[in-house]
Amino acid sequence: MEDIIAVASPPPPPLPPSWAAGMPEQVGPARTEHRFEFSGDAREYFRIWVVNLALSVVTLGVFSAWAKVRSERYFYGNTRLAGQPFEYLAKPLPILKGRIIALVLFGSYVLAGQVSLKLQLATAAVLALATPWLLVRGAAFRARYSAWRGINFRFVPDYGEAYVRYLLLLIPIVFSAGLMYPYVKAKQKSFIVEHHRYGGTWFTFRATPSQFYPPYVLAWSVVVACIFLTSLVAGGILMALMAHEGGTPPEWIALIYAVPMYGSYFVVWAFLAAALANLVYNHVDLGQHRFRSTLKGRQLLWIYAGNTVAILASAGFLIPWAKIRLARYRAENLTVLAAGDLAAFRAETRADVDATAAEMDGLFDIDIGL
Amino acid sequence: MTDTFAGTYYDGTGGAAHAVALRRVGLAHYAVEGEGVHRGGSIASLRITPRLARIARTVEFPDGARLLVAHDAAIDAWFPRQGRLEALVDRMEHHAQVVAVAIVICAASLGAGGFWGVPWLSDRIADAVPVEVEKTLGGEVLENLDELGLKASTLAADRRDALATRFRKLAHDAGGDDYRLEFRDAKSIGPNAFAIPGGTVVVTDQLVKLLGDDREFDAVVAHEIGHQRNRHALRQTLRGSFVAIVAALFTGDVSSAGAVVVAVPTFLLHSHYSRAFEEEADRYAFDLLARENESPHWFAAAMNVLEKTRPERGHRMSYLSSHPSTGDRILAAENAAQVFAAAHPDLCPNGVCPGEEETECEDCNDDDESPPTSSENLSCSKPDDDD
Repeated sequence: MEDIIAVASPPPPPLPPSWAAGMPEQVGPARTEHRFEFSGDAREYFRIWVVNLALSVVTLGVFSAWAKVRSERYFYGNTRLAGQPFEYLAKPLPILKGRIIALVLFGSYVLAGQVSLKLQLATAAVLALATPWLLVRGAAFRARYSAWRGINFRFVPDYGEAYVRYLLLLIPIVFSAGLMYPYVKAKQKSFIVEHHRYGGTWFTFRATPSQFYPPYVLAWSVVVACIFLTSLVAGGILMALMAHEGGTPPEWIALIYAVPMYGSYFVVWAFLAAALANLVYNHVDLGQHRFRSTLKGRQLLWIYAGNTVAILASAGFLIPWAKIRLARYRAENLTVLAAGDLAAFRAETRADVDATAAEMDGLFDIDIGL
Repeated sequence: MTDTFAGTYYDGTGGAAHAVALRRVGLAHYAVEGEGVHRGGSIASLRITPRLARIARTVEFPDGARLLVAHDAAIDAWFPRQGRLEALVDRMEHHAQVVAVAIVICAASLGAGGFWGVPWLSDRIADAVPVEVEKTLGGEVLENLDELGLKASTLAADRRDALATRFRKLAHDAGGDDYRLEFRDAKSIGPNAFAIPGGTVVVTDQLVKLLGDDREFDAVVAHEIGHQRNRHALRQTLRGSFVAIVAALFTGDVSSAGAVVVAVPTFLLHSHYSRAFEEEADRYAFDLLARENESPHWFAAAMNVLEKTRPERGHRMSYLSSHPSTGDRILAAENAAQVFAAAHPDLCPNGVCPGEEETECEDCNDDDESPPTSSENLSCSKPDDDD
């Protein structure tokens, strides 16, 4: 869910008001609508996926970096805006480097957890400290190697701000018993959006933190209500059983709790994902241009649920189908409301880019899919 | 050979798309001509993105300009040295037999990796881990457990000594002279025993009080010694870690479908390993008891006693599959007891060994009341390892 921006539809952020029609929209330029198109095909992608996975297995994972590039290129290249495809230009070696680092980090975390609580806490602390840095590196990497119309995207790193929003702001979440969560989420989204640029044009974010509260409050309420109802019903069944038969409760009683609770969580999660994606994309500006996202919770739920069942039932072989299905739905529900000519974008000029920063970019060229 | 390709040209400074033709000039040069574009140069200065499905190929110019050419294999002839690996992979992706082989490789490695690969690799690593390291880890585990609510034993010292003597004899005969027995008061855990990496066996006061006959105690610790002899705690740790890492690699791929997709197979695999270890420790206990001239029947007896404490355990579904079913384990123990009786006619006249008579009837009642579907709680490593 964090990856709304990075996953599937390659383009970074998105934007504007889906209810723009009813709003006293500020008088702006006439807008042309350009819907994202996705032309990926599940059968075609399945061949790519399975051959690359087999090669990754045979090479003990080394080929997986090449596999990732092929997979990304497939999704980018099949996503079009205004008739022009996106391009994914990353090279496999930095990805391989990133994967090795991720493997070591995560491996030591898992091992530590099996061995000692203290050791795991220590590794967790190191990981937490590294996370904002890795997030920034990952965003910078993906943006730099994403292009459209021959112009690259860019994520301008700001590590200080990243540490504030992804680490420091976690403290108030804890002290407010989670009430600050939507606020922090909003701050993080705006950080990601506003540090992106397409060529020489910055993305800007118009949503305020208060707009993040309604979806979360609604989601929380529904979950709480479900837990309450489930406990009531399951408790009643339990009492009835005990009164009737006495003795110990049967073990399937746990299912009465677990299934509705997990089920409601899954449902709420899908609706929340749709609401947040719409909220974010509908409030992103790229220069004069805006975006419109029209994801529907019900349809997203249907897709997620279908994907989960299909993947489990097929022992994973329907993963390609699931990915294509989701990417198509996301692309088809994202529209650019262009104010003027989309060809008018300019690339960054040399003055835009701090030379040292660019150098460092190259040095730490890693992509860790967080 | 085609020598002209239609494409879309971007100069790299602006977003304007130019319809152009890319043409070969002589052997080593190219020319791009079209809407306001006219450039040429050496083909050697160009880079091209590798072949992939129907994705447009991008020709990169040294100055940052880019040219998108509709997918066309013919252009590869211009760049015989570029993207050869990917060209090979592309051919494989288009080849039905290769795809079929890939499916077989993936399915086989999924199954074989889970059932043999992960265990094999983990066990090789376990072989390389010195016992000292294991002991250090075990010390940490015990410390953690103590912090989490295990208290000093409240059993009488002479009772503990008596049991410790029995334990030492078993451990000695199992070749584990350095194994240690620890008693702990653990209300929250209840009757339980577990093997901690490095040779320590922890038995809760609640278990000691529950078991009636000391030979039942022998059976329980023989099972834990079986975990120790086979280094199950360490091996399970390594296997769990590998599964978690592989699962993490896949999470990136399937995040679209939610965490269940990864959690379900991970859990099933974990339980599968755990059950195999429990069965192995059971068999080890039967053998060890037989070597001590004690009938494996005592294992069944201990299981039956534990079975009665069901209300305190089994409330978590995960337990169900982390251990084989109690019924199966009792059955296996009774089968081993029959073999033992047949082999020791002196000890067990008429196939009934000493101590079996009085418990027999009680067992029957038990089985009637509670069908053998529940689990028990002799577990390997930490009591919370199923969480």
